[in-house]
Amino acid sequence: MTNHETALAIQEALWVKWRQYAVTAGRVGLGVALLIAWKLGADAAGPLYAADPIKVFQRIVSDTISGSLLRHIYVTLRLAGVGFAIGCTFGVALPFLLRRVPRLTRAVEPYIMASVGVPKYALVPLFILWFGIDDAPKLWLVGLLVFYPIFIAVFAGIRNVDRGLISMARVVGASEAMISREVIWNALLPFFFTALKIALPRALSAAIIGEFLVGNEGLGYMIEYSRQNVDTTGVFTGIVVATVLVLVINAALVRLDRHFNAWRPIDRDMEL
Amino acid sequence: MATEALLEVRGLSKRFGDRVGRDPSPWVIQDLSFVVNEGEFLTIIGPSGSGKTTLLNMLAQIDTASGGEIRFQSQVAPIRDPKSLKPGLACKIGYVTQEDNLLPWRTTLQNVLFPLTVQRRLNDETRARAQMLIHAVGLAGFEQHYPHELSGGMRKRASLIRTLVYDPPVILMDEPFGALDAQTRTQLQEDLLRLWNLGRKTIVFVTHDIAEAIALGDRTLVLSRSPASIAGEHCNPIPRPRDIRGIMIHPEFGALYHRIRVQVQ
Repeated sequence: MTNHETALAIQEALWVKWRQYAVTAGRVGLGVALLIAWKLGADAAGPLYAADPIKVFQRIVSDTISGSLLRHIYVTLRLAGVGFAIGCTFGVALPFLLRRVPRLTRAVEPYIMASVGVPKYALVPLFILWFGIDDAPKLWLVGLLVFYPIFIAVFAGIRNVDRGLISMARVVGASEAMISREVIWNALLPFFFTALKIALPRALSAAIIGEFLVGNEGLGYMIEYSRQNVDTTGVFTGIVVATVLVLVINAALVRLDRHFNAWRPIDRDMEL
Repeated sequence: MATEALLEVRGLSKRFGDRVGRDPSPWVIQDLSFVVNEGEFLTIIGPSGSGKTTLLNMLAQIDTASGGEIRFQSQVAPIRDPKSLKPGLACKIGYVTQEDNLLPWRTTLQNVLFPLTVQRRLNDETRARAQMLIHAVGLAGFEQHYPHELSGGMRKRASLIRTLVYDPPVILMDEPFGALDAQTRTQLQEDLLRLWNLGRKTIVFVTHDIAEAIALGDRTLVLSRSPASIAGEHCNPIPRPRDIRGIMIHPEFGALYHRIRVQVQ
């Protein structure tokens, strides 16, 4: 390599590095700019309509120390988690069962697709009427909202499995259960993770909305209670905490996706 | 050579299911009969679209027949009803398909071991056999690679030894080397003959390449254009072991090639 080529290579490496720094700097800069805009906007709108970010931060610290914030977070996460587990179990199991009975599938498919269109939040009053005012109506809401994206993705994923792989597995002696577990499940994992990216934040939103309407604990209750007491800082605190929770869940999901789908050749670097 | 019929095809016919609003679908295969003997390397040659893959799918018991019967070890195979099909007939019929059909989320080694895993036959002995095959086809060092990290030729080798590893008495091969460059193909043909010489399996090898059919087979069947039936049968006088790279200059090659060429339309 000549001196000139070496110099060019070093220049290229520096340029690549500089571009990476530029992205990081841009991200941080944008975050700071948004915080400043929030602060200026809050000052202009007044404390009744928008909370000061500094006060929100102080509230998060004081409520964390008193323990009340952690309790609300725990209640909401538990509700979202249990509801998610129920919705996810049915969303995965039902397409696998329907795979065994193709004629029944064709008969019920239009009804399932029609039920996607029912606005789930509008069912909450019915759920309260039917299931009381404990956790049950909220679990129904979370479960249903999680069920649909997962059911649709897994259903589509099963149809998308390469027939050649299934034939190969049959010829070498795999049972139907093994084919479901090894071939179909692995082939639809990318679909499943895409659905999780929709379903997990949805579970949290649904839990919070459920808590607006029923109950006396949780982040949703905290936001609604603050609004009733004209405590705008409390409302903003709840929103900020919920957003942070969604971001944490998404980050965990991205890591899990990378782990399970490491084999994928193309979209290894693609994420939402 | 022992001439015991291992696989018998009698009057086999196939047409695909009719659909509403279409003319009845034509026969893909009609009245096809032949016999495969124990330990024989049979090559079947036919033009593209002559129903070669359909024939192998029926032999492998993953597709139904519309008429006729298939006997394996003198037993009639249930091939008329999709529900009674027994794919691979209890692991006795191996099938190397045109596509490699490797599981993309499994490594080379896991793919090769896959039949043993599902048959619950994974032990030190079978693992050692898998390692031997991996070395024999030059995949050593690529055990932990995923299929998409392998070249086309390497994927073919992996798919080939995935069938050899569980040692089925009959192996069906559907143009396994069709999509490869000439060099890689010759290399794989040599690998295949070498492996075949180790333990003489019964092989039914389908191809559209006349030279390949002659180079590999003990006997070559020619399929007619659709509907497919047997247009000719040629015993191959070229002795083994054969030199694949020099097969074209063997004195018997030219005449045999010409006889087959006339029948392949």
